[in-house]
Amino acid sequence: MIKKQKHSNSSQDEQQYNLYKDAYTRLVANKLAVVGMIVLFLVFFVAIFGPYITPYDFLDQDLMARNQPPSMKHWFGTDDLGRDILSRVIYGARTAFIVAVSVTFLSLMIGIVLGSLGAYIGGKVDTFVVWLIDVFMSIPSLLLVIVINVSLKPRLVNWMDMQFLATQNEFYRNTILADFVLVFGSLALIKWPKAARIIRGQILSVKKKNYVLAAKALGVPSSRIVKKYVIPNSIGPIIVYISASLGEAMVFESAFSFLGVGVRPPIPSWGNMISDGLRVWQLYPHILAAPALVLAIVTIAYSFLGDGLNDALNPRQWK
Amino acid sequence: MGRYILHRLLRWFPTVVLILLTIYALVFFGAGDPIKLIFLRAPGDVAYDVERVEAIREEAGLNEPFLVQFGNYMWNIMHGNFGNSLVSGRSVNSMLAAAVPVTFQIGLTAIFLLTIFGTLLGVIAALNHNRWLDNLIVGFALITWGVPVFVAGPLVVVVLVLGLGMDVPYGWYGLFNPMVITPLVILSLAPMSLIIRQARAGVLEVLSEDYIRTARSKGLPRRTVVLRHILRPVLTPVVSQVGLLIIATLNNSILIERVFGLPGLGRLTETAIKDSDYPVILAIVFIFSTVVMVSNLLVDISYPLLDPRAAAKKEGDE
Repeated sequence: MIKKQKHSNSSQDEQQYNLYKDAYTRLVANKLAVVGMIVLFLVFFVAIFGPYITPYDFLDQDLMARNQPPSMKHWFGTDDLGRDILSRVIYGARTAFIVAVSVTFLSLMIGIVLGSLGAYIGGKVDTFVVWLIDVFMSIPSLLLVIVINVSLKPRLVNWMDMQFLATQNEFYRNTILADFVLVFGSLALIKWPKAARIIRGQILSVKKKNYVLAAKALGVPSSRIVKKYVIPNSIGPIIVYISASLGEAMVFESAFSFLGVGVRPPIPSWGNMISDGLRVWQLYPHILAAPALVLAIVTIAYSFLGDGLNDALNPRQWK
Repeated sequence: MGRYILHRLLRWFPTVVLILLTIYALVFFGAGDPIKLIFLRAPGDVAYDVERVEAIREEAGLNEPFLVQFGNYMWNIMHGNFGNSLVSGRSVNSMLAAAVPVTFQIGLTAIFLLTIFGTLLGVIAALNHNRWLDNLIVGFALITWGVPVFVAGPLVVVVLVLGLGMDVPYGWYGLFNPMVITPLVILSLAPMSLIIRQARAGVLEVLSEDYIRTARSKGLPRRTVVLRHILRPVLTPVVSQVGLLIIATLNNSILIERVFGLPGLGRLTETAIKDSDYPVILAIVFIFSTVVMVSNLLVDISYPLLDPRAAAKKEGDE
């Protein structure tokens, strides 16, 4: 009996392995997805190792060389304060990367907790979770984040000032941190419903499967059911969610700084660089074009990769 | 059907109130004293007269507890009064009256155009499944889906003006002025891929149905098959996207109106954010969420009309 069980386990592991190997093969066969993946690896690499590769510091002003078009010295040219645009774009990648990763992580955590609560407990709790998801999905997301940022920032900054006066702890002088915290929190708030919906749906559909019922009838503890059936079944959609969410969070981050909420100058963000470029584009189009083109390429890469992942992991969806 | 609509409305109303309550609470507890905000902005050296401040506060009902103030605010909204701007002192109603028509005209036109062209492209793609035209359309959809409007807009302007020597598309001269074409195209392109995908997937699904084979085998011309048997069921998935389309278009209009100098809700939002003009922000949130929720409601209602199977399912649910 024990031996048999072991045998069936290992064969199942093998199957899982094959499923992902299959998905990987399908992904690699999709040329656009591979291009997208390469671009994104490059961006992540640049974002992580930014300080070691930038030719200049992103704050270095060379007032003798303002608004210069691209040249060998400054590949993307310089902006109105003589700062090297390439270095600023690289630091912008860092900002976008930090926001994308933390927001995706946070929203996934909230989604997992609420989604599984709803699916497991059911009844009133589930109705409430579903209602909450509906509400959040029907709010114009951009506006909600704007309101949160605009109304809470003064309060948070004020609070940090008070903390600094009380404790003299330098940590509280860091207003950049306050900016980031607000952006993370508010973005996670509008992004969790998607994650929660995916998790809830997966759990519900797995719960209905006969083999789970059989496992339950055999007295398999639920922690084991979760580990053996729920998690492996949800991983595909979660991977798709993560890839889409990383891209969306980057776009949202740029959109906020484009509007002047979110991460503030002098911290470079692609959004506020585009916004700055808009003022002078007729004279110095490169100031606008450099960050805009980079953001365009990155978002297209995400789009390609997301599509490829979707095809690879849910082959049933597309024909 | 009537009961269903009533049911939806009963669920919808508390949602709107909850959203407004949340936003109001954020502003109320986060932003601080509106009187101080007004005085901070008053030009010149305003004497900070405590008694006068208290008098104004008393008069405006700002010393009431939070819930009473929120109740008053809701009461005023129901009577069509959004209060006054903190910055200019103008009534928010008049500011909205100037901005709303601009955004709604452009937004609705964009949604209309992109639904038609998106459906068309999706159907064409599906009928040429896996041929170069299909790949072209799907690739186009992927690209327009990826690039955000505040990137596409400025880049297109740069190319049009500096590359092709056209006039700068800036300002609002009515919906029928050629100035409006560029922002309209940018606004329509971004969410079009949603429609293209839905229509394409819908057609592909329908193509494998028995009745299509029957229609073909009985010798109906290809055009009749497409128009009568394929287009009809594709409408349902397309209509289901309208809610998303409206959210996307509203979001995009916030981002893009500055680029093209359109004096709409997006511009109003941007200036209101810069000035922390809360009555204006609250009013815009109210309008946006109402629009989104009403359209969701309409979509839900039209579902059973478009697809009787959905109606049967819904009755089974309840």
